[in-house]
Amino acid sequence: MMIFDRFPVAAGTLLASVVALNFSMLAAAYGQSAQAPTSDPTNAGKAVFGKANCMGCHKWHGNGGGGYGGDALSLRKTDLTRDQIIEVVGCGRPGTGMPFFTRGAYDEVKCHDMNRQDAGAQMPPEGGMFLRSKDIEAVADYVIAHIKGAGEPTYAECIAFFSSSSRVCDVYKTQAQKPDDATASRGKGQ
Amino acid sequence: MERSSGHTRMLMRSCLLAAAAAVASVMSTLPVSAADEVSQERLLNVDKEPGNWLHHHQNYSAHRFSTLKEVNRDNVKNLKVAWTMHLGGIEGGGIWSHGGLEGTPIAENGFLYVTDGWGSVYKIDAHGGRGALVWKMDPKTDRDWAGAVACCGVDNRGVALWGNLVISHTLDGRLIATNKETGQVAWQRTVADPDKGEVITGAPLIVKNMAITGVAGAEYGIRGWIAATDLSTQKEVWRTHTIPGKGEPGSETWKDSNNAAAAGGGSTWVTGTYDPATDTIVWGIGNPGPDWDNAYRPGDNLYTDSSLALDATTGKIKWHYQHTPNDPYDYDSVAENVLVDVPGPSGPRKLALEADRNGFAYAIDRTNGKFVWGLPFVKKVTWTKGLDPESGKPIEYDPNKSVQAYIASVTPSRTNMETHICPGNMGGKNWPPTAYNPDLKLWYIPVIESCNRIKVEVMTPDKLKPREFWTGGGPSQPFKITGSVTAIDVTTGKIAGKMETPFPNLGGILATPDLIFTGQPSGEVMALDAKSLQKLWEFNTGGGVNAPPMTFTVDGKQYVAILVGLGGAWDKWFIDATPELKKIQPGSMLYVFAL
Ligand code: HEC
Repeated sequence: MMIFDRFPVAAGTLLASVVALNFSMLAAAYGQSAQAPTSDPTNAGKAVFGKANCMGCHKWHGNGGGGYGGDALSLRKTDLTRDQIIEVVGCGRPGTGMPFFTRGAYDEVKCHDMNRQDAGAQMPPEGGMFLRSKDIEAVADYVIAHIKGAGEPTYAECIAFFSSSSRVCDVYKTQAQKPDDATASRGKGQ
Repeated sequence: MERSSGHTRMLMRSCLLAAAAAVASVMSTLPVSAADEVSQERLLNVDKEPGNWLHHHQNYSAHRFSTLKEVNRDNVKNLKVAWTMHLGGIEGGGIWSHGGLEGTPIAENGFLYVTDGWGSVYKIDAHGGRGALVWKMDPKTDRDWAGAVACCGVDNRGVALWGNLVISHTLDGRLIATNKETGQVAWQRTVADPDKGEVITGAPLIVKNMAITGVAGAEYGIRGWIAATDLSTQKEVWRTHTIPGKGEPGSETWKDSNNAAAAGGGSTWVTGTYDPATDTIVWGIGNPGPDWDNAYRPGDNLYTDSSLALDATTGKIKWHYQHTPNDPYDYDSVAENVLVDVPGPSGPRKLALEADRNGFAYAIDRTNGKFVWGLPFVKKVTWTKGLDPESGKPIEYDPNKSVQAYIASVTPSRTNMETHICPGNMGGKNWPPTAYNPDLKLWYIPVIESCNRIKVEVMTPDKLKPREFWTGGGPSQPFKITGSVTAIDVTTGKIAGKMETPFPNLGGILATPDLIFTGQPSGEVMALDAKSLQKLWEFNTGGGVNAPPMTFTVDGKQYVAILVGLGGAWDKWFIDATPELKKIQPGSMLYVFAL
């Protein structure tokens, strides 16, 4: 299902801005009717980032990267606006591995003015779960607030993301933050 | 009064029954007789206890051949599910949304020892025609830490037995010894470090009171190794790096000025084999990193993509045979080396067989590492015209070039940044194990018949970061991928048969005197005639088969067991090549069949 030719980016972006309005209207109509934003949209968005497995491709820090899955773009370096992010998450990006997360996208919900037939080989994959428009907005807010424009991932950011006792963040500790657990984690008696 | 005393009597009776049952279950788990202690003697002579399956690969030679023949070509059509057991471990972690099952059960005296992807060990009592969980040891693997640097899934391929201990690995880098009777952890030792991108997925190999551990992480810039831990002192006996250090023999095959060797890959995540006659461990070595940008690491990049022979006592390298020098395809050689002796003109020939990701099957003289024969076992190979009949190197290999291009028009490179290549980077043949029938001299390969598309990313030293992908590009899947079971006659080095399957073989193979067993990621477990490869029996498990079958006896009856639960690399990275498999649900289940 992966596509040879990437969806032309310039055209995509143009389309995106044209379609964004159209799309969010449809999404709103399809999903929950307009709701007051939750008091802490950023936390709700972080939860979506985990549960919809954005981190499976873009990593917890959003930097994405190559690897076995091809390249998920860096959300830290993205130029997209909130509306554009909402549109990419809802519709996916045709001709790439970025999945769509709106139920009915390319069916009842038109994306880039295309349905499945129009999209053909450019049809993006379907996300692991569908997100309501409120969740898509929340994850976009989270990306804007915590990921877009950020530099290299830091220990503080990582701890804030995981808030667990996992050692997943240890690697981001600066020399000063490291006691001597570099050796401790290696085990004794070698 | 009457009624209440009757009630009391009932209660008493059920208490007594329960107590009796408790005693019985204690009795059945108690006998710590010498017969239950696993010794080197027993590991060397598994043919004396055909009802047990003591090694990950069945014997030290990785034959995965059982002499049991209660189930045979005449009656296999009557094979039925005897019992099943749901296991756990499908939780996600790191970049993974769920775990899967890739393990081979170990069977000893009617008890099975199996693992789930996160390394929990389950001891199951298989007596009496049903399975009962005796204990479960949950190592509480640090899921996010390990799962974020596991390139290819939440995987654990099983345990080994030693003394009264069950020896296992965890994805987050530990070697754990669990008391076989109680399920209590006796000790654990950190062997690999996820902070460096190292994780462990393979089963340990036990040799002479040592547990041999291999590591994964060539997609994350590790420098691979094989390590031996003394099971009495829990100390490291040796650790041999698969990429030579500065000045060591082989270091001249890393010709760059970036110190590429320090992050050069060479993983060892498939359990190797052992030849007691020469005290030699033979182990398959993985791909170099960055996978697809071979211009970053000019030179042959030893010992990546090689079969490596080590002195078991010291870990010293005895010989190596490299399959794909300066690999630009992610064609690793981690696969098991199957040790077989076949008649030759001047006495028996001692071979090591390896079915490589690059699509070729190799026979190497395991006394000296010299090439004997090689042939393509997949239908389509585009990266080379074939192997040099003398050296076994790809014909286009040029020792005077530091960056190999092979057939340049299809090879990923800095001047060919997007290309289609066959086999694709999953192979060929991946970790799912082969099996060898020593009577028929047939070697059965679980094949992935594949092509895929590779995009190259030019790497620079600043892109090398701890715990981040170091692949120099990536694959995508515009082509449908299928599979086969391909049999090779080891006496001639020729293909003896091919049974094509709609999906790649992601499980591996078990051989018995006149049958082979295998599975499909679409759910089927099947038995084929050992000679004709004709399908004689099939059962759909309703899950994805991603693990090898094995067989054992209990109460004098033969059973065939297989873990079912699609995980691993496939359903995250390669699923687009098999869109039908998108409907296979994550699962975690042990199936046991009998007549
Ligand atoms: C299966 C992997 C995958 C998953 C899951 C995924 N993405 Fe993506 N994403 C990609 C890929 C690949 C691209 C790059 C597409 C391209 O090449 O233009 C991308 C691109 C994007 C972009 C566009 C960035 C830009 O600058 O153009 C945004 C925004 C984005 N993803 C957000 C998300 C969010 C939010 C989620 C979770 C709801 C998510 N992604 C889940 C793979 C994924």
